[in-house]
Amino acid sequence: MWLLEASIEGFRNLIPSRLVLSPTVNVFHGGNGQGKSNLLEALNYPALGRSYRGARDDDMVAAGAAQAHVAVSCRTDNGDHILFECGMEKGGPGRLRIDGEPVRRRADLVGRMATVVFEPQSVQLAAGAPELRRSFADQSLSVLDQAYFRRLMNCHRALRQKAALLRDARRAGASPSRVRAEAEIWNREIAREAAALCESRATWARELDPRAAAIYAEMDPGSACLKFVYLPSLEACRRGLAGEDLAQEILSELDYIGPHEVRRGRPLAGPHLDDFQLLLGGIGLRGYGSRGEARSAALALKLAHGELIFAQRRVRPILIFDDVFSELDKARVRRLQQECAARHQLLIATARPDDVAGWKPDGLRTWRVEGGRLEELP
Amino acid sequence: MDDRPTLALKRGAADAGGEFRSPALERLVRALARLPGLGRKSATRIALQLLRGAGDPAEELMTALAEARLHVRTCGRCGCLTEDDPCAVCSSASRDATVVCVVALPVDVLPFERAGFYRGRYFVLGGLLSPLDGVRADDLPFARLLERFDVDGVREAILAFDASVEGEATALYIQRLLADRDVRLTRLATGIPVGGSLAYTDEATLLRAFQFRRSL
Ligand SMILES: Nc1ncnc2c1ncn2[C@@H]1O[C@H](COP(=O)(O)OP(=O)(O)OP(=O)(O)O)[C@@H](O)[C@H]1O
Ligand SMILES: [Mg+2]
Ligand SMILES: [Zn+2]
Repeated sequence: MWLLEASIEGFRNLIPSRLVLSPTVNVFHGGNGQGKSNLLEALNYPALGRSYRGARDDDMVAAGAAQAHVAVSCRTDNGDHILFECGMEKGGPGRLRIDGEPVRRRADLVGRMATVVFEPQSVQLAAGAPELRRSFADQSLSVLDQAYFRRLMNCHRALRQKAALLRDARRAGASPSRVRAEAEIWNREIAREAAALCESRATWARELDPRAAAIYAEMDPGSACLKFVYLPSLEACRRGLAGEDLAQEILSELDYIGPHEVRRGRPLAGPHLDDFQLLLGGIGLRGYGSRGEARSAALALKLAHGELIFAQRRVRPILIFDDVFSELDKARVRRLQQECAARHQLLIATARPDDVAGWKPDGLRTWRVEGGRLEELP
Repeated sequence: MDDRPTLALKRGAADAGGEFRSPALERLVRALARLPGLGRKSATRIALQLLRGAGDPAEELMTALAEARLHVRTCGRCGCLTEDDPCAVCSSASRDATVVCVVALPVDVLPFERAGFYRGRYFVLGGLLSPLDGVRADDLPFARLLERFDVDGVREAILAFDASVEGEATALYIQRLLADRDVRLTRLATGIPVGGSLAYTDEATLLRAFQFRRSL
């Protein structure tokens, strides 16, 4: 997939602009705080229908403006063109269109524009909180499988309903048996969706693992072997069950902890507590890995996700790198950049010119970003 | 009723004194803007049209509103909106009292009546289970629904809820309630778009969803 053209208006500090991108490598130079990340955030907005930095639409609308617009046109791997139009409004709902057709639900958007984003936060993937790995898994699986996103939304919704039920019942001092009977209704929905979600997560981790290991080995030859494993929070998911059997087993497990949930007034188990682990030579990177190892492992994981998108969907995702290369060894960086560029369109933002100095891939286009203004360099 | 707290939640011009010199006009616009689907802009257009449009549309609207408010009630048996209680469907001898279609809201009855193929009766729950919106099992008229089974000898109940998490949960709850009764319980087939609304489903889709309704 290739990002051909974009127009941006009213987005953070960016001066309204149109840009035509190179199908190969695009580099955005600029000092700190000039708007490089803002630009990448805008260009990637159609991939998720929101900010990859987790920002709210409100924050992305330029100070003093009421609305922001981002239009992105792409060429897909089978030669079609696709146009994404995104409108963000202060205090209002966002608007999304694909080829002029309004998109009502995010489920219909997610996965249409395939990108892999590596940004400063991504470094935390190996050593940070479980939530980061979970959200990487969820975003990755949503791009690979539209049904996954729908199930995830349903599961979260049912969990929130149950949470509200338990919280209010505790406050009101409702009869525990009646609360449990009602909670059981939500448990059924949670169990049905969770069974599918956990199966998908397990398969995904198994397929990502060897790919990430191979990429890591290339980045750091001679290092110990990288391993990526799924750590389901539900006991039922560790018994090799599948389908209806798994759903039944999850339901029994949720039933079993029911009384505790009623007493504590909140859900205590579910796929929202899952985690994943990265190990190097059998030792968990979380807590033990060096900064460099954590960074390379996170990068390997993201690139493996890119390979998986191609393996499963025959789509080459656009690779978006926001200041990834600092702290990595120069020679390795160059090899990595060349390999990525051979297969994918690249968008690179960097505050340090030497990250890309002397690299002249075919079709390279370079911009300077200063005070939100984009200026293409010859 | 003091409506200021809810107004404070609205953004834009409504927070301040408003953009009109006339407090009466401002009040009208605010009242209209609180209606579903209307923003402040459309509310303003409608207000001006009502006050200055040809043929005194305000008078017509006031009369219609007053009459509707006086005459429209909910049917004591099925919960549909009606002028007569019981409603025409509940009192019609040609409607099969042993089949009942359970819907969430009064509007959900409309596509069935418009399509015309359905010959049974209705039961309007008035909402779906949703603790997030403060709706728990005790807040919905499940006891009255059960009464219908015992009094009218209902043999089949068709659950026609949106294909949402809340629709599923409510269907499941009713399934539980009826577990020890000898009734056929069915759910509309998934012709209704996921997350879509029953009230806006076209007739052909509805008929298909009805014909292929699945037993629970
Ligand atoms: N809604 C907004 N309206 C106007 N300006 C904004 C808005 N949001 C962020 N900014 C400005 O954008 C600038 C940050 O831009 P950005 O994060 O893209 O920097 P960067 O070029 O990536 O820098 P770094 O190299 O430090 O990562 C800040 O100066 C910030 O004040
Ligand atoms: Mg930045
Ligand atoms: Zn009636």
